[in-house]
Amino acid sequence: MGVANLLAGIVVLFFGSLVTYSASQLPYRGEYGPGPGFLPLWIGIVLIGCAIATIIKAARQYGHEEQTFIHPKTRQVAFVFATLIVTFLLVRVVGLSLGLALFTGFTMRAAGKHSWILCIVMAVVTTAVVRVIFGVMLDIPLPKGVVGL
Amino acid sequence: MDIFANLLTGFTVALSWQNILFCGLGVLFGQLVGVLPGIGAPTAIALLLPLTFSMSPTTAIIMLAGIYYGVAYGGTITSVLINVPGESSTVMTTLDGHQMALQGRAGPALSVAALGSFIAGTLSVVVLMSFAPILARFALRFGPAEYFGLTAMAFGLLTVLGGGDPVKIIIATLTGLFFATIGIDVVSGLPRFAFGVPELLGGIDPIVIITGMFGIAEVFNSIEEEVRTDILKAKFRFRDVFLTWQDWVKSRWGILRGAVIGFVVGMLPAGGITTASFLAYLMEKRVSKSPERFGRGAIEGVAAPESANNAASISGFAPLLALGLPGSPTTAILLAGFMMWGIRPGPMLFQNNADLVWGLFASMYVGNVMLVLMNIFLIPAFVTVLRLPYTILMGLIVVFSTVGAFSANNNLFDIWMMLGLGVLGYLMKKLHYPVVPLILALVLGKLAENSLRQALTLSGGSMGIFFKRPISAVFVSLAILAYLFPLVQWAVKSRRRRRGLAEE
Repeated sequence: MGVANLLAGIVVLFFGSLVTYSASQLPYRGEYGPGPGFLPLWIGIVLIGCAIATIIKAARQYGHEEQTFIHPKTRQVAFVFATLIVTFLLVRVVGLSLGLALFTGFTMRAAGKHSWILCIVMAVVTTAVVRVIFGVMLDIPLPKGVVGL
Repeated sequence: MDIFANLLTGFTVALSWQNILFCGLGVLFGQLVGVLPGIGAPTAIALLLPLTFSMSPTTAIIMLAGIYYGVAYGGTITSVLINVPGESSTVMTTLDGHQMALQGRAGPALSVAALGSFIAGTLSVVVLMSFAPILARFALRFGPAEYFGLTAMAFGLLTVLGGGDPVKIIIATLTGLFFATIGIDVVSGLPRFAFGVPELLGGIDPIVIITGMFGIAEVFNSIEEEVRTDILKAKFRFRDVFLTWQDWVKSRWGILRGAVIGFVVGMLPAGGITTASFLAYLMEKRVSKSPERFGRGAIEGVAAPESANNAASISGFAPLLALGLPGSPTTAILLAGFMMWGIRPGPMLFQNNADLVWGLFASMYVGNVMLVLMNIFLIPAFVTVLRLPYTILMGLIVVFSTVGAFSANNNLFDIWMMLGLGVLGYLMKKLHYPVVPLILALVLGKLAENSLRQALTLSGGSMGIFFKRPISAVFVSLAILAYLFPLVQWAVKSRRRRRGLAEE
């Protein structure tokens, strides 16, 4: 966890520096009062200060922390994350409702070891629910993809 | 007389068939969410928010509020039966509630929780109805300096009362403020932090951030957390559910004390329902003549925290409606909902949208009656829901989050943004960076920045304006003290440590 905290501090430092730099490109003062760069500049500066405090604290605690960042189930989180990326990439081809149905069926089978029948039923129900509630009742123009669902 | 006339109008609104139906659906869904350990009130409301696009705002807020106070009832069931709190607000209930269940008294434990919640909830609505309009009239005096002071005070109190590392809380708050600044600046018309991405010119929709950080992040975090579902084999015979006279005598004052503590704590920024239940339990133990019974199945140890969490969930609406200031993640999401429906909560809400305000208050009576009946008659049905595997629930959360994020702007870019923010929320929770200050700063960010700029424009750039006006001076001073408090705490601790080392 010590390394993770240290890395988090470095990320915040980078983020704060980016905010400060981008804000410095905007006018600090406007015609009558503070400009659009006023608050963001201070956000960036305070973020940098907080990042330095975090890095110092993490460096002091390094080696004394008992918790670990990587958990036995972190691999499952990575699996669901990767499945979501594939699902969202597929949306342009299969549409949103079918894409989400495939995600539901696939994760139920792969992560939950449910029966094929239950997975297929849930996938069909998901497609129908998304289409009917969001597509028809709420009239949201859901992407249909090449398949048309 | 005004209150009664307004309440009559409120009941006319709340008792329309649509509002009764959606209030019922809200409290039922809230109960279910409370029972399921992998999903919380903010997530549930975030997932359902896009469904309210086509509803009238009054019906929508009645339903979403029903979810909020319904969750506090539902979380008790898992706390008592499997010693796993369905919600953080029912953690204290596990201490005595589960002990009662192990002694074969699960029925009275659940009943006293339902009865206490009902009494405290109803009392809170009565006080809220009287107090919120007064607060709103007071807030009519607010100008830009006061509004900036109010938001600064809310962020500051969150740093002190939120628990955890103050530096991490400040980082989360600033990140939320940064997200709020993305897009075209309304004063100068200049784009800010869009980095050449056209989809960012309109800013990031709060719905996208909320569905990512509560929906998707909750899925990732829940996968890593072990959720026990070994349900206690409790008997639920109808006659066992009712309290004995002795049970009532032991718990009645606990219910009242819990109601008072819950109402006061629920109104504070970062107070929240969890702190309320914690404080109510500690108070009950302190005033008890036999504190040794606590943790071994004392019925007042269930009554007090359960009454407090329900009272707090209702009193949280006072600052939200009267000042436009959310004090908890759930009320912050409700504020995002108000913005989505084109309504700005604050003092004018009581004049411009009186039907909505009083309809909501009246619906809370209706919702509390529905909840107490559900808790007496439907507990076995809710226990069945506990057996729902998380792999199915996970699919439902992802589906609702994704479609919700897409429907914010009908744009596929937003679902990628939601996924990225989901990862951010997951990492933040793992590294103990709280998400609540980020969401609060996100929804209050525009108000904070606009008020700051307006106030400084009025004063010609002098910060003195925040200290010249008495109300803003109090708010800003409290904010400064809140931010200085962790520094003072750190200095005192270091001095003690040095003194300890010197003595050794």
